[in-house]
Amino acid sequence: MIKTSTLPLGRISLLLAIIVWLALVLVDLVRIFGMINNLDSGISEEVTWILEILFFIFVYLVYRRIFWKTRQSDFLTLIWRGVSNGLFAAAAGLLTELIYLAFGESKIGTDPFLKNVFYHINFAWTSAFLISTALLWKHLILYQKNKQVVNQWQVFELSMLGALFFVFFNNNNFDYSFLFGLVILLIISILLAGNLKWIPYLNFKEKWKLLLFLFLILLCAGFLFYRVLNFGNEERIQINLTDNLFLMALFGFVFAYGLFSFLVTLFNLPTSSVFEQKLTEAINFQKLSQSIQPEESEEQVLDILLDSCISASFSDGAWIELNPKEQFIVKNPLRFLEESTRAELNSLIPQVHQTWVHGSTAELPHPQTIRLNHPNYKSALLLPLVVNKSILARIVLIKEVKEGFNKEMMSIIGTFARQACISVENHRLLNQAIENERYQEELKIAQRVQKALLPLHLDHPDSFDICAYSNTADEVGGDYYDTYQVDENHFVLIMGDVSGKGTSAAFHMAQMKGVFQSLIQLGLRPAEFMEKANSALSKCLERNHFITASIFEIDVVHQTFCHARAGHIPTLWYKASERTAEFISMEGLGLGIVRNLTYKNHVHEKTFDYQPGDILVLLTDGILEGRNDTGEQFGYKRIKKIVEEHPQKSPIDLQQVLIDSLHLFVGGDGMIDDDYSLLVVKFK
Amino acid sequence: MLQLEKIKEENKDILRLIGEVDASNSVLLDQSMQEILEQGTTFLLIDGSQLSYISSAGLGVFMSYLDDFSERGIRFAIFGLNEQVSEVFKILGLDRLIQIAPDKSTAIKLAHES
Repeated sequence: MIKTSTLPLGRISLLLAIIVWLALVLVDLVRIFGMINNLDSGISEEVTWILEILFFIFVYLVYRRIFWKTRQSDFLTLIWRGVSNGLFAAAAGLLTELIYLAFGESKIGTDPFLKNVFYHINFAWTSAFLISTALLWKHLILYQKNKQVVNQWQVFELSMLGALFFVFFNNNNFDYSFLFGLVILLIISILLAGNLKWIPYLNFKEKWKLLLFLFLILLCAGFLFYRVLNFGNEERIQINLTDNLFLMALFGFVFAYGLFSFLVTLFNLPTSSVFEQKLTEAINFQKLSQSIQPEESEEQVLDILLDSCISASFSDGAWIELNPKEQFIVKNPLRFLEESTRAELNSLIPQVHQTWVHGSTAELPHPQTIRLNHPNYKSALLLPLVVNKSILARIVLIKEVKEGFNKEMMSIIGTFARQACISVENHRLLNQAIENERYQEELKIAQRVQKALLPLHLDHPDSFDICAYSNTADEVGGDYYDTYQVDENHFVLIMGDVSGKGTSAAFHMAQMKGVFQSLIQLGLRPAEFMEKANSALSKCLERNHFITASIFEIDVVHQTFCHARAGHIPTLWYKASERTAEFISMEGLGLGIVRNLTYKNHVHEKTFDYQPGDILVLLTDGILEGRNDTGEQFGYKRIKKIVEEHPQKSPIDLQQVLIDSLHLFVGGDGMIDDDYSLLVVKFK
Repeated sequence: MLQLEKIKEENKDILRLIGEVDASNSVLLDQSMQEILEQGTTFLLIDGSQLSYISSAGLGVFMSYLDDFSERGIRFAIFGLNEQVSEVFKILGLDRLIQIAPDKSTAIKLAHES
């Protein structure tokens, strides 16, 4: 099977058209020979008609193919093709006329066979010209088509198809039915000729060209029509191919649309500059609305804006002034003006309109027109460019005439300015967003590093269970906890909290870890530990920062713990034997508050005996100070109550209950505006 | 929200704190303290009767001026704290370093004694 798409349809049609034409010539010559010699050639005139119809169809196919290939070309190229076809056909006609003029009444000049051959040649060119031009008109009519136009065109095509076979109906006579058909087809043609939407898209120069082309097409069509009429009227030609409704209607259509296009183009000429202006404005607008690419600068946007404003307002001069606070410069701030003229004109602008120079942004100015008292320039438009509520720059447009800026200009220029400002603003926001992204990344790293400062594994023997939890208000925080195994039977628990929150607290927290980890190696007693820690941290902490800490040294053999508290939230101790919980009340000053040796007077230690089943809950103030929507704090009492209600729970479960209760209490509208940590120990 | 009111009374400066002192506005408290100090005060009272909450950052501000007060011999006291706020001072141990009084007259008395 042969795929249709691979067939060279255009060439096959062309070949068939030529064959059919040759057959037509042959048949007609035989018929003429018969007529002249009064012999019956045995060929009826229907054969001529059929061949003629076939010829039309093949020519149509040839041109349809050509059009399909070149449908993307612009209007003028397409029309030029029509013109060249017309000129070719007309030239062929002229040549024939010239030949006959030369031969005069000689034998060759009156030879009917030769005359018929020429007639057929002219007929072929004329048909080709008309069919190709009709296809061209179709392309133009259906430009920006809607359903109605398509329907109209289909009606026309069907009527033309009917006209093609009309010859069988009226036997090639010029009668009323012929006239009737012609009139109907002409009416449809004229209706179709109203579809001229493509013309406004041509610019001024193109329109002039178009006028020339259309004129040539009309001229050729007129000349060919005149020749066809002449031939038709000549007595000696018995074979008439051109008194055909299809051909006549095609003439009508080609002529009507050509004429309409010509007239409309002609009348469009004076207003075409306005249309072009609007088109330029649209393009400028589009340019401005494209967001600035990272490698482009704001300067380029202002450059485009300045040029767009000048072209939209037909200004005779312009300049752009940047707010001195801006970081960049515009290399070519002047248009059509000398710097001296600019300074002259600038001094003529009243002081009231110079407000932006003084940096007053309380009231943002609008575009304003002012009169200028200058020998050459009479009016000016001041256009402030406002980005992010401050004035980025000002454009001054100058005209030689008075009141040179009308409302429409102001409105389009205002739109340009707004769009340019949006572009600049977007550009800046984008840069900011990129910067912020980078900070976020840095913070994420900080968060990861800080998480690593808290122990993954908590040292503890089989004789007690332990778990811990920490959450920060910001990305990083200032809470710290750790465990340390001194020897087989002695374990140390530490919890610390840096005042404040966020990044500064996080740095101090790292210092605290360093200090604690160093001191813990020394085997100090809790109070001594706090003393040394105070002295070390006093040298590290900023003046308005302090640290609170709690330390427990647990002796699992003697079942005792020694505790010291440095300003930290008291630890809750659940005593299994009494089934109650109490906060361990001890004196103790925060670290870094008193930065001298007197600190030792402010810290104490005490040893307690514990029982299996006892629970210690170490916490930071973030939990206590978690507030609900009425501003009430979570507080000591709630924590105590929760622990007393759940003494059987494992540390991890108890911890979860505490955290859940806190979140339930705080609710959606409340807040935990601080880091909070928990460390739960349960003795076995 | 924190509102600060500075009141001058004879030879005393009174700084009234209204609302909450937290990490975000402790800078304002610090600025006010700094200003009062620069004016060469000799007697500074903090009126905390309308202070509903103070965070550790706020405590840090008071703490950072303690050395200045003792060096320059400035009398300093805080009065009128509600139970919750006063508890915060106590837990940190600041009640041992700063005179904290229930009312203004007691505060003046305590400040004179120290």
